[in-house]
Amino acid sequence: MSEHASHAHDHSHHITPFFTLVKTLMLLAVLMVVTIAWAQIAPEALKGVPPAMASLINNLIAMGIAFVKAVAVIMIFMGVKYQSHVVKTYAALGFVWFLMMFIMFADYGTRHWESVRGWTPETKQMALPRADEPFEPGMPPRKDIHIPDQHH
Amino acid sequence: MTTQVATEEKNYLQEGHTLASWLLTKDHKRIAVLYLISVSFFFLVGSIAAMMVRLELTSPRGVLMSNETYNKAFTAHGAVMIFFFLLVAIPAVFGNFLIPIMIGARDLAFPRLNLLSWYFYMAGGTMFLIAMMSGGVDAGWTFYTPLSSIYSNGQITLALVAAFVSGFSSIFTGVNFIATIHKMRAPGMTWWRLPLYVWSHYAASLIIILGTPVVAITLLLVVFERVAKIGIFSPELGGDPVLFQHMFWFYSHPAVYIMVLPGMAVISEVMACFSRNKVFGYKFVALSSLGIAALGFIVWGHHMFVSSQSMYQGIVFSFTSFLVAVPSAIKVFNWSLTMYKGSVWLASPMIYALGFIGLFTVGGLTGLYLASTGTDVHVTATYFVVAHFHYVMVGGTLLAFLAALHFWWPKMFGVLYPEAIAKWNALLVFIGFNLTFLPQFVVGYLGMPRRYHYYYFAPEFQVYHVMSTLGASALAISLITPAFYLTYSLFKGPKAPPNPWAAKGLEWEACASPPIKHNFHGVPVVVGDVYDYDAEAEERALRGLPPKETH
Amino acid sequence: MAISLNKMNQPQDVVYEQFEDLAQQQETYVIGMWAFLVTEVMFFGVMFMSYVVYRWKYQPYFYALHQELDWRIGGINTFILLLSSFSVALAVHFHQKKKKMQTLACLGFTNLCALAFLVIKMLFEYIPKWNHGHYPGPGFTWDNPNIPGNIAQLWYSLYFGTTGLHGLHVLIGIILFSVLMFMIAVDHPAITDYLPTEMLGLYWHFVDIVWIFLYPLYYLMPK
Ligand code: HEM
Ligand SMILES: [Cu+2]
Repeated sequence: MSEHASHAHDHSHHITPFFTLVKTLMLLAVLMVVTIAWAQIAPEALKGVPPAMASLINNLIAMGIAFVKAVAVIMIFMGVKYQSHVVKTYAALGFVWFLMMFIMFADYGTRHWESVRGWTPETKQMALPRADEPFEPGMPPRKDIHIPDQHH
Repeated sequence: MTTQVATEEKNYLQEGHTLASWLLTKDHKRIAVLYLISVSFFFLVGSIAAMMVRLELTSPRGVLMSNETYNKAFTAHGAVMIFFFLLVAIPAVFGNFLIPIMIGARDLAFPRLNLLSWYFYMAGGTMFLIAMMSGGVDAGWTFYTPLSSIYSNGQITLALVAAFVSGFSSIFTGVNFIATIHKMRAPGMTWWRLPLYVWSHYAASLIIILGTPVVAITLLLVVFERVAKIGIFSPELGGDPVLFQHMFWFYSHPAVYIMVLPGMAVISEVMACFSRNKVFGYKFVALSSLGIAALGFIVWGHHMFVSSQSMYQGIVFSFTSFLVAVPSAIKVFNWSLTMYKGSVWLASPMIYALGFIGLFTVGGLTGLYLASTGTDVHVTATYFVVAHFHYVMVGGTLLAFLAALHFWWPKMFGVLYPEAIAKWNALLVFIGFNLTFLPQFVVGYLGMPRRYHYYYFAPEFQVYHVMSTLGASALAISLITPAFYLTYSLFKGPKAPPNPWAAKGLEWEACASPPIKHNFHGVPVVVGDVYDYDAEAEERALRGLPPKETH
Repeated sequence: MAISLNKMNQPQDVVYEQFEDLAQQQETYVIGMWAFLVTEVMFFGVMFMSYVVYRWKYQPYFYALHQELDWRIGGINTFILLLSSFSVALAVHFHQKKKKMQTLACLGFTNLCALAFLVIKMLFEYIPKWNHGHYPGPGFTWDNPNIPGNIAQLWYSLYFGTTGLHGLHVLIGIILFSVLMFMIAVDHPAITDYLPTEMLGLYWHFVDIVWIFLYPLYYLMPK
């Protein structure tokens, strides 16, 4: 009935070979070990690096590995590699569209650029809480907080 | 396209007469009829709430009800109309009925899922009715936190669950449409031969699957907050209530396009048929649907200009909101140009469609006023906004719904309704609508806030409100009338021929009225282009002139 | 008819009346399932987005709060889910080859993994946290002076909300897998090809993918 029907035929009967599946499992396991291992050695390895930079590196590594793992699962376990372009597009769609939500950082990132005339630091404290102004009265400003040493 | 209509054969309505044959049906046409009955019911519920709101506002002092009752009335009106009428009506009734037929398929891809979606819809609707009757809901259809999560009592939790459940009904419909449109097209039905109706529904389905889960989980988080104190939006915990608004509008702006894209779908068909012309710039109209779906996701912040969202983000969202008006404008221009050199036939569906074009344009243009941050600061949360969205939702979606109802009624039920009454009624809808909502632009601009149950501070607003209530009454009459003459036609109306409008498209040319169970005998093969009307030839024939010579 | 474990005795390769042929039917189901998974991605997307916003806002606290979770338990669970994902992929592989025993064994193993995942989560995470009063709500107890209690509650809200929704998906998976296994075992006529297994498999892989992102975000990254 569909115009695609004829050549879709080869896609849908594809049986992913046993060893391909095993290899994928191994890859996933190795990546899991790598990401855990990095998390353990990161505090040592990034000792001299400024915290913002270190956090960026950690984020990139952890999310990068997770991304590769997800792609492996989607492509091989879920068989998208052997499917039509339509399926590939839909497989990517959700993940791409999720990124649209990051537009809201244009809000969170710039809220405090606005200067409000007549606001002293105290009135700012009393104003409705914004996400980066913890609500508890009398709390010390966040930069002075002592964070327990994570590096043992 | 071959026409072969066997008259003796049973149509889908005759395939079974028991209640079970309806409630357990997997036929997309029967499910569409189930949906038609249920959305009409919810439309009635929403309209009653609307009349309560309008009556209350005839007096500046708010004598009919307390502010709390008033809050419950407008919440009931907004939530029922949006979640249980506008988001559902056209896709679930006409989309369901027509998409398989228009692409030459026997049914939707997943008939059982289709039925399940109706049950989810009914479950959600029932829950919402229970919530309304057992204490009511007063947080507005937008359910902003922390009002909905901390301060408001009443049946918010149940209402939120109801919206969640009905969201899944939408998702099922969307998934079904997408799979169907991709894989079930008849031989020869290429993407560029698809009726624009199908394109628009495809775009709306994309928005449904990308947006609806977002609002579903967001509302669920509010439920968690009320029930289990999981406070992701709770300011007490350092959470940001505005995050709720981000998530809510991430869906709810695109959702306005879930409401209006299927309406645009209807208008494309009706304009082509009653102008006896190809839709001008077919490809542009088709692609502008996808453009709307995509751009619709990056404008949500225009609802939050005054919600303590950053001003800088506001500027960006203002700009993108102007962009999203472009694909809508493309459609309006192309529909108008479709009439040019066509042969316009003012039948009742066409009157509704023309109404749509005018009113949608007004709604869209006032949307641009609201999208300019400077203007919006003055008119936000006033009746100006109320007027804006009623111009697009009532003037757009509801009129399109009525156009569809009149256009495809002979196809769905195989009977003809009294066209003369229908025409006058269409005119009355247009007049009633404008009388209701035009004064609201003025009174909103003058400063009448929305969601207030009185305005004793400005008694001079009364005249606008009275005008509006009068208009609403006229509108109410003009919306009840079709219920009568259409029902009458079911029993007494003359039998409809397969193609009473001499329209193009598989549903008219290759399909009986009402269609048989599997729509077609065999699989139709599509050869020609879509909308291949020939206005000039028809005009000549009408005037008794010989056909034009071809060189 | 006696039920054999080695042979699939269901009606084979039935094409439903709305489709033309098997290939079309299969592709349609795959597209439909993926469209549904798009909604699932967006669904969890909100949970991840909330997490990202607050983590970004309260970085130092959130870094400290991550110490609340034991990466070992999370790691074991990650591995369990990987195994289960693998065995579902195998189940599809065997179902395509119409090997009933192997299909059932793989599905059974998957279900076992899923169950183990939930049990570990309950015994080593939820219940101890609950006993310490670390659950959002009025009963929340907090005695770490370095982290404000409300931020800790916010963090726990995110943690319970996200892992709870994920856990709910695991639970639904267990139920669906059990039904599927039963239907395959008794040669239920509704199972006419490997598609039900594949569809459920897609769902299950998705549950795994959610965890693939959840694990480093909640358990690992801040270390
Ligand atoms: C040309 C495109 C459009 C633009 C630029 C636009 C712009 C806006 C803006 C800026 C607001 C917020 C006003 C405020 O709260 O201060 C708004 C509200 C609204 N618009 Fe539109 N709009 C457009 C089209 C539509 C369409 C097609 C629909 C529905 C079918 C729609 C439905 C609504 C609704 C329901 C609200 C009010 C939501 C609420 O606060 O309850 N709009 N629009
Ligand atoms: Cu909007």
